[in-house]
Amino acid sequence: MLLSEAGTKVEAGTRVEAGGGDRARWWRVWHKGKATQVRMSVIEWRAGNISDPVERLRFLRRTVDAQDFTRPATEPATQHRPRRRIMHAGLAAATLFLIAAFVAAPTASNSAYRYHPQFLLPAPTPQPAGQEAPKVWQVDFTRDHETYSNGLRVEKSYETAGNERIPYPVYRRRDPQLETAEMHSGPAGIVYHTTESLMAPFEPEETGQMRRIGNAVLDLVRRNRSYNYVVDRFGRVFRVVPDDQIANHAGMSIWADEKYAYVNLNASFLGVSFETQTQRGADNPEISPAQIHSARILTDMLRYKYSIPAGNCVTHAQVSVNPSNMRIGYHTDWAGNFPFGEIGLGDNYRQPLASVFAFGFDYDSIFVHSTGRRLWQGLHASDEQVTLQASLLGMPVAAYKRLLRQRYEKILAATRSAAQKGETNEE
Amino acid sequence: MKNDKTASGALGLDVGTSRICVAREENGGYKFRTELNAFVTIPYSKMTENVLKRENIPHSVQDGKIVVHGNESEKFADLLNVETRRTMTGGLLSPSEPESLNMIRQILGNMVSEENGPRKLCFTVPAPPVGAQDSLTYHEATIRQILSDLGYEVRSINEGLAVIYSELEASNYTGIGISCGGGLCNVCMAYLSVPVLSFSIPRAGDYIDMSAASVTGELANRIRLVKEESFHLNGFFNDKVHQVLGVYYDEMIRTLVQAMREQFAGAKSLPRLGRPIPLVLSGGSTLPEGFRDRFEKILKEENLPVPVSEVRIASEPLHGSAKGALIAAVTDL
Repeated sequence: MLLSEAGTKVEAGTRVEAGGGDRARWWRVWHKGKATQVRMSVIEWRAGNISDPVERLRFLRRTVDAQDFTRPATEPATQHRPRRRIMHAGLAAATLFLIAAFVAAPTASNSAYRYHPQFLLPAPTPQPAGQEAPKVWQVDFTRDHETYSNGLRVEKSYETAGNERIPYPVYRRRDPQLETAEMHSGPAGIVYHTTESLMAPFEPEETGQMRRIGNAVLDLVRRNRSYNYVVDRFGRVFRVVPDDQIANHAGMSIWADEKYAYVNLNASFLGVSFETQTQRGADNPEISPAQIHSARILTDMLRYKYSIPAGNCVTHAQVSVNPSNMRIGYHTDWAGNFPFGEIGLGDNYRQPLASVFAFGFDYDSIFVHSTGRRLWQGLHASDEQVTLQASLLGMPVAAYKRLLRQRYEKILAATRSAAQKGETNEE
Repeated sequence: MKNDKTASGALGLDVGTSRICVAREENGGYKFRTELNAFVTIPYSKMTENVLKRENIPHSVQDGKIVVHGNESEKFADLLNVETRRTMTGGLLSPSEPESLNMIRQILGNMVSEENGPRKLCFTVPAPPVGAQDSLTYHEATIRQILSDLGYEVRSINEGLAVIYSELEASNYTGIGISCGGGLCNVCMAYLSVPVLSFSIPRAGDYIDMSAASVTGELANRIRLVKEESFHLNGFFNDKVHQVLGVYYDEMIRTLVQAMREQFAGAKSLPRLGRPIPLVLSGGSTLPEGFRDRFEKILKEENLPVPVSEVRIASEPLHGSAKGALIAAVTDL
């Protein structure tokens, strides 16, 4: 305990001896300290009798001088004479008792306070989530396959030509009207799909059956140029449509990252499909550890090669829209339980959906029931943004959504007019 | 509370890194108004400007851009998905923000310009950060000049002392006041209203947010939202963000208490205390449930050289400093 020793005041480092001048000096110092202490006690007692806290503070500030009560903090208690200390301690104790009697008791603890923020903002787009893409490079290639530094092997036996990946328009998010279109090229993201094909039991005796189904799926995907990549049930990665060409995987779709909004993602996003079937609600699609591993190293390779932010790796259910009824979720691939974490990404289900907050799309109860709870976070964040934006503009939400939809129609028209003959926006 | 029901006209101003709070007397009590100490620029359009005017949203037009400042800036930043810009960092005017002076002038003018009467104002200044004793001069002089230009008779008060004036009247303004804000944790020890020791450490809410964001890969803004909405320091964490927040809160508290121990032990002069003194915690960073308990636990572990009778959270943690500044201003009338 510091400063519990009362009634003495000695310069730091001074050694006090019993006799002569030292004793007289010690007495003067002690007397001065004692006088100050008594004076402080009186001041404190008088202050305690002033009920108005402002008046009390005024009195204290007028009366108390810092020089009155400070002493070197390093004053060692052991320098005091033991014989004197006993006597002075008695005086001090009496003084302290008096002081304590006059000073009000401390107020009660208020640790139960709970914080309520003044307003709950809609969630900002939580990106980029997940880890930075590790460095991955090609180490080998043959006519049939490519091998990458992270162990990824890309089979090319089903590869076919698509349409060239031409520059596509993107819209700057900082433009409140989303009117500023810029032409970009190269993949800006990845959309994950499911093949929705037949699923034989994942057992050794079913290997032949699974291979036959897988080959049929790949044939179909090649014919329709449905995806850029397919990850089959054994974790094999097949490139079907080369990266610099467009696969017909996302059709009418919308996404937005921190900087840009993307409309119709075939040209701007790569399509990666898992050979599996989407399950409703909270049920997990059947997916093998080999598929997850392959999807992870494929994602790492694509993200590193094209500098794709983690937040732009999303599922088809998150981006798919139906302009004819202005609802989202026309396709529900990976509507819930996509293993974002195991793929090395953040939980992108939490991101608000640009289709809702930027273009006024709606969703119905069927979509909600067919999706997992994780996607609801994004829906909720999107709704919050729409409500907030409408309130800032002083408009009813419905009227504000009509404005957003007009914006979408305008952009859709511009996008279509910019599309080249090889780009297909319908699936 | 003041006994007479007449408002004094004086103002107390807490100029914090993340928020500015003004306190005034009204109907025998205190009234507070808080604004974010931040701004955001948005592209100019006539329609946007008209909307802002119609909604009375504080803004200005500069160099062909609309600058929204104060509370609304965060909403607009969120809509535009950009970060707000801060006029201050680490408790002081930001040297890296070219618009800091201009914007804080606008925010302060918007908050305090409506007063009539004595026009006395007291504003908070941080204590010198440990190891950077001379860094306050420019900040304090600048804020003083801005407020003087608005027609106020201005004085400043140490932020920790303001907490003591606000919360420790029961102990005759003797005790330790700590304000844990966005940029700094301010500590002040006072004896009978006279400050005897004050200092600050540059670890507070922003440090927690940024550190947690760098570990989790989340935006600092999102970390802050999680912290304000659901975080508590009870030792059980639901997810990684909460766990990381717990780690950095612990680090902040421990750094603070260790600094207190060192500063108290190394102080050149301290008053004679006849009894343990109360310690009060204020500021937005003290809001998570369990903060007081964690602080008290670490305080006991560190064996502070000043005996402490109790550790408690301020009755109004977000307004404590402004209220104390107001009390200081009223006392001068």
